[in-house]
Amino acid sequence: MRWRAPIQRLLALVRRRRLDLELEAEIEAHLEMAERDARQAGLSAEEARWEARRRFGGIEQIKEEHRDQRSVRWVETRAREFRYALRTLSRTPGFTAMAVLTLAIGIGATAAVFSLIQGVLLTPPPYKEPGQLVLISSDRTDGQQQESPRPWPAAQWLEWQREVKSLQSIAAYGWAFNFLILPDGVESFEAMLVTREYFSVVGLEPVLGRKFLPSDTAPSATPVCIIGYELWQRRFGGNPNILGQTVRISRQNAPFEIVGVMPPGVRFLPAPNAAREPNYDVNALVDIWLPIAPGPNPEALKRPQWNIVGRLAPGFTREQAQAELALITARQAQADRDFAGFAPKVQSLTSEYNRDGERILLPLFEAAALVLLIACGNVAALLFVRGLGRQQEYAVRAALGIGRAQLFCEVCIESLLLALVGGALGAGLAVLAVRAFKLIGGHTVPRLDAVTTGWPVLLFGLGLALIAAILAGLFPAWRASRLDPNEVLKGAGPRATAGRGERRLLQIVTMAQAALTLVLLVGAGLLIRTMINIWKAPSGYKTSHILAMTVTAVEGNWSDFHRRALDRVSTLPGVQSIAFAWGVPLTGNNWTAHVIIEGQPAPATQNEAPQVPLRSVTPGYFELLGIPLIEGRDFRSSDDDSAPQVVVVNSAFADRYFSGTTALGKKVWLFGPDKAPGTIVGVVANSRTDDLTRQASPEIYLSFWQARAYSKHLLIRTEADPLSIASAVHTALREINPYAAVEHIKTFDQIRNDSLASRRFAMQLLVGFAVVGCLLTLVGIYAVLSLSVASRRHEIAIRITVGAEYRDIRNLIFFDGFRLIAGGVAAGLGGALVLSRALRSFLYEVEPSDPATLVAVAIMFTGVALLACWAPVQRATRMDPMKILRC
Amino acid sequence: MSKRRRDLPYGTLDLLIMKTLETMGEMNGYRIARRIEQVSGDALKLSQGAIYPALIRLEQEGWIRARWGISETNRKVKFYSLTKAGRKQLKAEVEAWEQANALVARFLEAAL
Repeated sequence: MRWRAPIQRLLALVRRRRLDLELEAEIEAHLEMAERDARQAGLSAEEARWEARRRFGGIEQIKEEHRDQRSVRWVETRAREFRYALRTLSRTPGFTAMAVLTLAIGIGATAAVFSLIQGVLLTPPPYKEPGQLVLISSDRTDGQQQESPRPWPAAQWLEWQREVKSLQSIAAYGWAFNFLILPDGVESFEAMLVTREYFSVVGLEPVLGRKFLPSDTAPSATPVCIIGYELWQRRFGGNPNILGQTVRISRQNAPFEIVGVMPPGVRFLPAPNAAREPNYDVNALVDIWLPIAPGPNPEALKRPQWNIVGRLAPGFTREQAQAELALITARQAQADRDFAGFAPKVQSLTSEYNRDGERILLPLFEAAALVLLIACGNVAALLFVRGLGRQQEYAVRAALGIGRAQLFCEVCIESLLLALVGGALGAGLAVLAVRAFKLIGGHTVPRLDAVTTGWPVLLFGLGLALIAAILAGLFPAWRASRLDPNEVLKGAGPRATAGRGERRLLQIVTMAQAALTLVLLVGAGLLIRTMINIWKAPSGYKTSHILAMTVTAVEGNWSDFHRRALDRVSTLPGVQSIAFAWGVPLTGNNWTAHVIIEGQPAPATQNEAPQVPLRSVTPGYFELLGIPLIEGRDFRSSDDDSAPQVVVVNSAFADRYFSGTTALGKKVWLFGPDKAPGTIVGVVANSRTDDLTRQASPEIYLSFWQARAYSKHLLIRTEADPLSIASAVHTALREINPYAAVEHIKTFDQIRNDSLASRRFAMQLLVGFAVVGCLLTLVGIYAVLSLSVASRRHEIAIRITVGAEYRDIRNLIFFDGFRLIAGGVAAGLGGALVLSRALRSFLYEVEPSDPATLVAVAIMFTGVALLACWAPVQRATRMDPMKILRC
Repeated sequence: MSKRRRDLPYGTLDLLIMKTLETMGEMNGYRIARRIEQVSGDALKLSQGAIYPALIRLEQEGWIRARWGISETNRKVKFYSLTKAGRKQLKAEVEAWEQANALVARFLEAAL
């Protein structure tokens, strides 16, 4: 019941007009009744009217009082306090701007990272009840790590589908990359190959058309496909009559009929077996779904090539599903040795889906929260110091009978006002920051394209503002309300001084700020060192002045196109050299072969031979990338189908398999002992092809004309800016073959940077946060020390009069500051040791507890922080002791 | 808060209204005012309009409720009645009033 009236009053604010009208009606009825009664008592009409009015009283006054009575005195009081706070704040614009800006920065940083988290981690995939979906990957039963989990043979999962109780349904899928051949050119796409159960398992309903039917995978069926909403919009303009139209897909004879369109925002399910395909992007939106079904061929049924997604049956847990599947799988392995060695691992889809995002966003969110805490510390200190300046005012008002609660309210409202303005500004900053993130973040954060800033960010910003107001305002408010007016008024004039205990409290706040800043700085320092280490690491190739693009001759004669392309592009102005290559560094490569090597013990089966990545390049590739030839020769353009197979190996390969002798002239069997071997004709220097942070491993290069690659890179070394010739190259290639897909045009420097993007993104953000935190903390140290000097002016003056030198005073204050800083640094180093571990996966050749970084950061911060002490020290030493002591 | 000088101690009017509604049942504003005038005779100098701010306050507190009805002059007018919470409140207030009264009376006696 206590809440009823306030709520009614708030409502009355909104229903003002209606309540006024109602009152009016009541008054009129009242007067009429009064008039009638007066007439019945024998008065004339005129007299009766006058009598009724007289007895009613002042109508306008009553209305006024009615309004007063029914609406919210509480709101009005708070509104008055708000106005008062606004006036006070606007009287000190410098203070206000400082506090608001500080809060805006803290709130902005946190809200910006939050909006990434909201868009990337908290927005579930567009499946029905995604929490019930599980991925079934594999573990080796011998406990060894697999480089990527082995997919499952159809023979196994078909049986799961029939027997398992803990899973409602199971579907299998794969990943494919291909090209659409459209009237106006060729476009690559990523597709999901799915069994017909897939759509019902994940719970996707087409926005147009139908899902796949069992008949779609019959051998004689017309090929069909379902397209993604985004492809539909992008390529077909959202045409509502799209169903029944056909599309041509490269390397497929029959055209595919479009039978459905899926809703927007559907992305791939992870297909670990395709994870190292150059074009694989699990976070991309699905362009096309193609139906597949396991064939009847018993050998094909045993081929491990299916990724599995399932939906838990109601009431069953992931663990139960895992146990049940493990049982069936173990039985299968007993019945058929081919199935032995692998056990199912049931993973939640959403945790898989969020793993990459969490890896980068959670540490950044932590960092942003630290910035916010530092900002709150500053605002608390600012409010507190200002409160000291207003002690007199508070005391007088307290003496005049203003309640403690009201004083408390007033100071709280002031910090709330600051925080709200700061929060609104911060939300604005966050929107800008998110735009900047999207610009620099690119592919580093998965699904960044889906991030939008909207109401949630604003609400979150305001929520943070409330927290900030409490953090920053509570203590100053409490202090203001606890003032003893007698003490204050007995004391001297309006001086900004603080007692020892209060100063100590402020010092603790500042120390905490320094500690948090140090944590940020250590994180930033570790990432900077990582980038330097990567920069210094020998990649083995040059990246400047090289243009790269993927080129695919979707139709037409393969070798004719490539030879003509080489001839044509190399004559373009500005082109120095040119090469085709499959397996260009840092672009992904999973073409490996089990290689039988001359002189090595013969393996029992081909599959036990060492697995080595293969690359395919044209002559001149090594020179173009600056990879030195150590022994032998480069490929020649005559190394083609009509010539004996030749290979070039890197020195890691030569060292491992032919140490102490030459690799030249040795033979390697790439495609089985019964096929013709390749002869090693050259050895090139090592290069870090997969990842700049990984040591070079053995590699084999094949001659491009002997190992035809379908989708590959064209590399061009240029004299000037590589991108300046991009369009000329594009035109030239399309002239040779209109069905040539030319995509991903980038400089090699860009490719290199992209491979480091997530580290760089984390580094940039953390450095930014650290710098902001550092600045805020310096302001905090400055403020606290200034206050300390002001509070101790009598003491300092006395010291000077009894003969303290300039140096003594300077040391006194510097020592004060140093204690503050040192305390913060010590606590910060402890915090950094714990919190830096969150960054481990980003670091390269530096430990999270790297002593050099810790020491360097600590010294640097202490140095900079001591600078912040300089101004207060100057003020202390320039005091005129006589003036101070006299008053 | 009110700029108007009250003719009655704060809260007295509320008590009178609630008591009136308790004894007379549902009534419109004019009838409540008349009834208070009649019962108090000339002892109370109250402009009739003053009951309306009191009525809205009591309604907002949930102690009385209002519904639209037709007055004896055939006009739409609000009829007020006491709620359950209102009865409880009235009882509490009457007790408080009596206690305060007794206390003041004792003081006045002692002073004499």
